[in-house]
Amino acid sequence: MSAITLRSVVKRYGSVEVVHGIDLDVEEGEFVVLLGPSGCGKTTTLRMVAGLEDVSDGELSIGGRRVNEVAPKDRGVAMVFQNYALYPHMTVRQNMEFALRPLSLDAAEVDRRIRDAAGILGLGELLARKPAQLSGGQRQRVAMGRAMVRTPDVFLFDEPLSNLDAKLRTQVRLEIGKLHNRLGTTVLYVTHDQVEAMTLADKIVIMQNGHIEQVGTPEEVYAHPDNMFVASFIGSPSMNMIPARHEGGRLRADGLDLTVPTRFEGRLSEGQETVIGVRPTGLRCAEPGAADAVVARVEVTEFLGNEALLDIRIGDHELIAEIPAAGRPAPGDAVHLTFDPVAIHLFDPQTGATLSR
Amino acid sequence: MAYIRKRNRRIFMTFLLPAMLVLFLTTIYPMLYAGYLSFRSYDLAKPFVPRMFVGWANYQQVLTSGDFLNALSITFQLMVITLSIQLVVGVGLALLVTQRLPGMGVARTLLLIPMMISPVIVGLVWLFLYFPELGYLNYFLSFVGIDPIPWITSPNWALWAIAIADIWQWTPFIMMGTAAALTSLSPEPYEAARIDGNTRWQVFRHVTLPQLKPVLVSLLFLRAIDAFKIYDIIFVLTKGGPGDSTEVLSLYIYRQSFTFWQMGVGAAASFVSLIIIVVLITLFFKSLNRDQTA
Repeated sequence: MSAITLRSVVKRYGSVEVVHGIDLDVEEGEFVVLLGPSGCGKTTTLRMVAGLEDVSDGELSIGGRRVNEVAPKDRGVAMVFQNYALYPHMTVRQNMEFALRPLSLDAAEVDRRIRDAAGILGLGELLARKPAQLSGGQRQRVAMGRAMVRTPDVFLFDEPLSNLDAKLRTQVRLEIGKLHNRLGTTVLYVTHDQVEAMTLADKIVIMQNGHIEQVGTPEEVYAHPDNMFVASFIGSPSMNMIPARHEGGRLRADGLDLTVPTRFEGRLSEGQETVIGVRPTGLRCAEPGAADAVVARVEVTEFLGNEALLDIRIGDHELIAEIPAAGRPAPGDAVHLTFDPVAIHLFDPQTGATLSR
Repeated sequence: MAYIRKRNRRIFMTFLLPAMLVLFLTTIYPMLYAGYLSFRSYDLAKPFVPRMFVGWANYQQVLTSGDFLNALSITFQLMVITLSIQLVVGVGLALLVTQRLPGMGVARTLLLIPMMISPVIVGLVWLFLYFPELGYLNYFLSFVGIDPIPWITSPNWALWAIAIADIWQWTPFIMMGTAAALTSLSPEPYEAARIDGNTRWQVFRHVTLPQLKPVLVSLLFLRAIDAFKIYDIIFVLTKGGPGDSTEVLSLYIYRQSFTFWQMGVGAAASFVSLIIIVVLITLFFKSLNRDQTA
């Protein structure tokens, strides 16, 4: 049993509340990513699980045991920090040995664990080096090794890839994924990078301002966002948002007049204000005269290889469309676009909640 | 270009000249002159007798004199006592004042005050405290039932009395440097150690101390040089006495030169001290630093 459970967990610093009573279930062996912008409370939540911050209110359990008052070392967790947190004066081997010291293992076992971890992470050649002699990626692997040798029930990762350059980030990301597949340990992982979240997570927890906005698989949060925040936070470029009004069975906005997709029929009252959300990939170039085609003016085109991004203007709305690069229009052109009905999301402009549920 | 560089150099030299001149007059010339004197017989009581060349005689006298060896031994005793206590207490205070506790900022400033006082004043302050019958220290000790201690009048206590005054004055120096080093250590390794369950002592011994070592070595180095030159406090408190129980090298040299008026012997003693301090301190800190560079 190594599931993590948070029940109405609150974190306050003095009178300032930064985490507002969140509920979360992490199943055993699951890779769960806490995702959100800076200051959303994701790192604070992770640090509460680690025991580095006290839980102000609510209940935190690991493996079915309440751990609110349990010291960090007795929670069965190991943490990997953003800036590695290696002991700078110790070699790679000594760093791992020091982490094992509290477990009072015999020398042979210590050596076996270090060799195992070094083997899995490819640190064999580096055991005698000090952190200053390692690259960023190597340091992060040592930090992971130091967490691994303790064979914890839960791995906690606090933005482990933020200090790495883009290429290394991809590489270490793959290694973390492989490591999880191999060890099968429960992982709680904090990041602000949606690519990391989408590629690594079994389950993504999207947070904002100390609240959980949505919990779901990467597919769920991408395809079925619960609200406008999740919809615009996940996906790159962001989802286009167009304020509109429901009039006579159609969605109308400046320069826009669309048929209501069948799955929203009956969910909208006449004259209701709504927000149309459509990802750049949900816009298609069309022949003039196609049903529901709208006229858009192309302002900028960005060539990405297979695809191109078009910055377009419809009425007074600025949108981004992603289309095949071949035959893309030039800036200044007027193009006809259709909205893929399947790709259309509708949100309540007041609450931000989706209208599809 | 060449012209400008040449002109610049002339300007540099002009600005440097006064400092060079002072350095030469107050340090380099006296040192060379002392070197010259150390090979001559020069009795201040007979200033008009020619200063005869005596070869190594002055050095021989110094190195075979029990007084000199006594002074050397006392200097090292004082150095070991003060440096070790300053190190332990200074690091302890640094750990304390870097805690996020109320009042630590004020405490930190107050603790620095002794360091800012001139050693002569420190000597006078402690003279009042140590004063045999009327001193505050014995007065306060009487409350806890301790009989008056002959702080500066007994050969058994005088060195400790001086050590205490020096420790009082210079512990803040170690504290300040250590506190600065402590605040520059990154907090994450400490959090990692907390999660891993290392004890506070293990963390201090294996994480904090090794990272502080370069700073501590430098601080001790500076303190060691100062301790070797200690003069003012002792001059005010005991003048080297009782007997020669607190006569350190600087006082021995002073006594040879200005009490016995044997300038040649005093100069030779200065050079011997200089060589000893350079050799010993270099060896000591080389050994401390060995694993640092490896």
